[in-house]
Amino acid sequence: MIKSEQTIFQRRVDRANRRARFLITIGGYSIIVSIVGILLFLIYQSLPLSFKTSMKDLLIVELPLRVNKTQLIGIDQYQEISYFLDDKGEAAYYSIINRDFLTRDSIQLEDGEKIISPAKGSLNKEVFAVGTDHGRIITSEIRMNPRYQDNRRFIEPSLKILDTFTVALPPETEVNHIEKIAFCQNEDGNLFWSWLDHTGNLHLKIYNSEDDISFDYLLTEYLGREKVSTLTFSYDGEKLIIGSQTGELFWFDLSDEEAVYLRQNWKSSQFAITALAFLIGNSSLVIGDQTGLIEVWFPVRDENDQFRFKPIHQFKEMSAAVIQILGSPRDRTFLAIDETGRIQLNYSTSNQTQLEFKKSDYPVVAASFAPKADGIILLDQKQKLGMYQLKNEHPEATLKTLFGKVWYEGYIQPEFVWQSTGGSDEFEAKLSIVPLIFGTLKGTFYAMIFSVPLALLAAIYVSQFSPRWLSRIIKPTVEIMAALPSVVIGFLAGLYFSPLFEKHLMTLVLYTFILPLIFLLSIFLWRLVPEEKRMRVPMGWELLFVIPVLGISSLAVLGLSNPIEVTLFSSNFKQWLFETSGQNYDQRNSIVVGFALGFAVIPIIFTISEDALSNVPNSLSSASLALGASRWQTVRRVVIPAAAGGIFAAVMLGFGRVIGETMIVLMATGNTPILDLSPLNGFRAMSACIAVEIPEAPVGGTLYRVLFLIAFLLFIFTFIINSLSAVIGDRLRKKYARF
Amino acid sequence: MSQASGNISYFRQKGDPYVLMTSLALLLTLGMVVLMFGIILFQGLGFFWPRDLQEITLKQGEIYLGEIWEEETVHFKNSQGRLISESEIQIKKGNRDLSGRDFIWFKKQDISDQKSPPLATAFERMEYGNFYGYITGLNLGDKFIEDSAGNLFQQSSKALEKAMANREKREDLENQLNQLLAPLAGLQREISLLEIDHSIEPEAQAKKIDQLRMELQNLERKIEPDYQKYSGLLQKVADENEQLFLLVQTAEGAEVHLPLEKVVRLYQPNRMNIFQKTGFYAGKLWEFIAADPRESNTEGGVFPAIFGTVMMVLLMSIAVVPVGVLAALYLNEYAHQGTIIRLIRLSVNNLAGVPSIVFGIFGLGFFIYIMGSSIDQLFFSNKLPEPTFGTGGILWASLTLALLTLPVVVVATEEGILAVPRANKEGALALGATRWQMIRKIVLPNAMPGILTGLILAISRGAGEVAPLMITGVVKLAPSLPIDASFPFLHLDRKFMHLGFHIYDVGFQSPNVEAAKPMVYTTALLLILIVIFLNLLAIYMRNRLRKKYKTAVF
Repeated sequence: MIKSEQTIFQRRVDRANRRARFLITIGGYSIIVSIVGILLFLIYQSLPLSFKTSMKDLLIVELPLRVNKTQLIGIDQYQEISYFLDDKGEAAYYSIINRDFLTRDSIQLEDGEKIISPAKGSLNKEVFAVGTDHGRIITSEIRMNPRYQDNRRFIEPSLKILDTFTVALPPETEVNHIEKIAFCQNEDGNLFWSWLDHTGNLHLKIYNSEDDISFDYLLTEYLGREKVSTLTFSYDGEKLIIGSQTGELFWFDLSDEEAVYLRQNWKSSQFAITALAFLIGNSSLVIGDQTGLIEVWFPVRDENDQFRFKPIHQFKEMSAAVIQILGSPRDRTFLAIDETGRIQLNYSTSNQTQLEFKKSDYPVVAASFAPKADGIILLDQKQKLGMYQLKNEHPEATLKTLFGKVWYEGYIQPEFVWQSTGGSDEFEAKLSIVPLIFGTLKGTFYAMIFSVPLALLAAIYVSQFSPRWLSRIIKPTVEIMAALPSVVIGFLAGLYFSPLFEKHLMTLVLYTFILPLIFLLSIFLWRLVPEEKRMRVPMGWELLFVIPVLGISSLAVLGLSNPIEVTLFSSNFKQWLFETSGQNYDQRNSIVVGFALGFAVIPIIFTISEDALSNVPNSLSSASLALGASRWQTVRRVVIPAAAGGIFAAVMLGFGRVIGETMIVLMATGNTPILDLSPLNGFRAMSACIAVEIPEAPVGGTLYRVLFLIAFLLFIFTFIINSLSAVIGDRLRKKYARF
Repeated sequence: MSQASGNISYFRQKGDPYVLMTSLALLLTLGMVVLMFGIILFQGLGFFWPRDLQEITLKQGEIYLGEIWEEETVHFKNSQGRLISESEIQIKKGNRDLSGRDFIWFKKQDISDQKSPPLATAFERMEYGNFYGYITGLNLGDKFIEDSAGNLFQQSSKALEKAMANREKREDLENQLNQLLAPLAGLQREISLLEIDHSIEPEAQAKKIDQLRMELQNLERKIEPDYQKYSGLLQKVADENEQLFLLVQTAEGAEVHLPLEKVVRLYQPNRMNIFQKTGFYAGKLWEFIAADPRESNTEGGVFPAIFGTVMMVLLMSIAVVPVGVLAALYLNEYAHQGTIIRLIRLSVNNLAGVPSIVFGIFGLGFFIYIMGSSIDQLFFSNKLPEPTFGTGGILWASLTLALLTLPVVVVATEEGILAVPRANKEGALALGATRWQMIRKIVLPNAMPGILTGLILAISRGAGEVAPLMITGVVKLAPSLPIDASFPFLHLDRKFMHLGFHIYDVGFQSPNVEAAKPMVYTTALLLILIVIFLNLLAIYMRNRLRKKYKTAVF
């Protein structure tokens, strides 16, 4: 009985012991888990940026359509229903889910009339104009509205004629063929048509829906002897671009509908222009020619302050003439299709060909993006319909756009730009990390040149020269300084010191000159005191010597700064600086930040290096002193080398802290992502950028992932610095601690 | 000549200038610390002291009544190239609702007359900042007293007390009304959710909606009498307060109708003696600590921020201390020297070095968007798409900070564990104790000061950290505290306020930074005092630990 009780007790003790062991082991490992977990999570969130664009076949089916008669195709946003418009004006709706034709609609044509030229006129609506061989231009829209019933979604397609007009007959002809047409319906509902009739005349018609007036233009005379090969509008209806058989391009400015004029005429190719299209944003123009050349041009401000189209990106050449270019309704992706049916998916800004494929042995007759740009449909000559799902989530973030110079629309040259959010849908996020890395390094630089000398020298003084009682006070003081919340330092820097510095910039500048000057002068005077008397000053009383120096220089600066500013710098130093060197003074600038960040890391550097210096064995310095070296010689030749490992570690840790510091840079810099070395400008640091932008970044979006990438970079920076400080610090310690 | 240069190089070699240089560096460092604390102390402590009201008449004829805020001298050259120095004065003249501005600068030389009239009265209001003027009339509901000789101040103060009591009563009543109506709002929400829900059969849907409507009506009928009663009382209080108002004459002579309900405090600083001023100061200080903020955080108190900080820090401690202690125990009592222990130490070092904002973004991405969203989908799917845990909240902020402060706790605890004499531990093991028994009876009690040091340092770090918090759940103005009387009392999903973030927000995102500045300094002072107190406590504990360690060697 007793025995079994004992064993029960024993067992319980054992079990508790095992459990404790298990728990404690988990606790130990949890540290590794958390750091590795953070790292992996950052990678997991930013990795999708590097994913290649992928395409998946959703449906490939041969349709019983009339051979080679399909003019236009399109699809709804849920990718359930597509339409096919043939040359008789018949619109057939095809249900992709049921793989069957649904109802039909029709554009009523006259007897024997045929559509010979179609053109879509918007990126986000299925609105189009068709030109017939009877000289009529019919504008219509296919709507595919979702309707909900019994918790199921039905797409209801419908066709609506918006406008029909017959073009005037050219003299001495009986019929009129609309050979080529371009069409646009802009956001205000204004309609723009431009067409080429079979006599080779180029027309433009603008309909202002608000005032209900039309404007007609004949543009042929502007073209000289050039023959029109293709034409397109920008989606806002402000630009009409005509491409010719010999590679000439004409830009007509339509922003004033009453005064259309030829704005620019240039040659982009030796061969016929075969395809033209604008990308979203109405600035980038994609040009494809007969030899398969694909280029993106957009207007750039030139020396005379005029906008001129300039070649920006050149893409991989296609094997045959480019017959169609389709801009994505969502971003600056476009599809280029050549004669043989080869297709390229390109992203304009990053100058990247994301996909290249050929889905059929026959040429492509019609193609369209899905409204959300998450799919494309293609119809080939053999009436084979292909539907493909497009996974193209972060085309704007490539190694080149993140770390290289990119030529963005509206800029005069390639640049590093960070501008993540803009006002409209057409805005393109500019996500160059370079200005942010630069900002972080700039802040770090100014902070380090301010803090390292001060902290190290102070540490040397406290550990080597100061009286005991002083170090006993200073060490806890500095430790408390280390605990000072960075938000307080940042707020003081931003709200107190930056206006103060701005007001007394002269004083600050003067101080940096006068303090060393007076210091040197006082040392010179000190030297004049006979050495015996100097020796009699007790050790550690240097502070008493320095305090008056500081006081005198402060007084001198305060007294002098105003007269100097008034007499030498025409009473306003900032103004003078701006006028002589063009240097602008930002109120929240790198000097203020360097000061504040430096203040934040001084305690770290001080504490660790002071520890290292104090831990150098007394025997070493005593031996050096006994051999006749002076105090300073001992410190320089013996103590500092012996403590080098610790000092190095201290500086590195300070460095790591500055790189990641957030609140100070957030509050004391203007947060403008500029690349400028001047200490009088602000900057934007990586950490502050994360803090500012992550709350508004849509989860899973490109910005969100790029911010995680920045966090990952910060993590890696600090990881390397920490490990370096550990490894090199150890090595230095071993090397010099051999005494 | 050669003698002198030899002397200089000897002097340099001996290095006395360098020694002096090091002392200069120390002096500059200390000077900066003193300067920073000095600024915050001066600016933070002075704000609540009642300043005298000055009535200033300018040569141009304008009259201002207010507090002198700042003086400065500007130097410039005039058109003839002569140097001119001018003194400018900034006064806080209040009355923002009348003139649109609180502050005004003018030149000292323009002043034709300056006096401090004893009857000048300052009114702290709920809205539009301070008001300065002279009381000329008081309406007490049943009677109206007119007097501009200054006899009304006492009566006005009494009337103000009454108005404040009424205001409290009204808030109580409003709360009760809200509680009464809360179930109604819930039902209405349910109905409107049902109406847009297409996942159920239309008939069943209609039936259910009808049923809910019935319930709603029943409920309405049930609470009707109470509702009538409360709103009647509310009306009475409001009527009474409407009759309590002051007539105040501004410096310019305009007569203003000032409802006492909108006044927080009124005082005549020019007539106060030093004790009255001290009393006033204490009152303001108490308000700062114990009251809610007013006027988009630029006035009133910071109580919710203090409360939020404390709550967050407590939750963080609950999460971080066990893990930190376990890890430290593993490192010192269980792990064998080798790769694992080196890896863990490396992890601790690096965890300490990772920037706080990286913890923040991790907290946001992992805790909020992944864990929080999953919790919402599992347990709060009826509230979706409105997130419960899938958005920033005190729980996620605390967990993020727990990760951040983990190394602090581990390092401090290790120090404590190392201080436990080996002999004690071996003695326990030799007596047959299991390792766990030894840890529980010998290591943990003796390492307690170390653990507490770690806890205190972690708390101090958590109280001062802002960057990770501002993306994981801190807000500028939380509608309610994380603890209240409604079930389940502790609301881990709520957003909260934090002292550090308060500084950032009020100082940098406030619409009226000039008026908000004093508040920021005071809050910063409070935060610094808390952090310094915690750190001094930690230093004290650590010193005790070291002493104990010394005596424990026998």
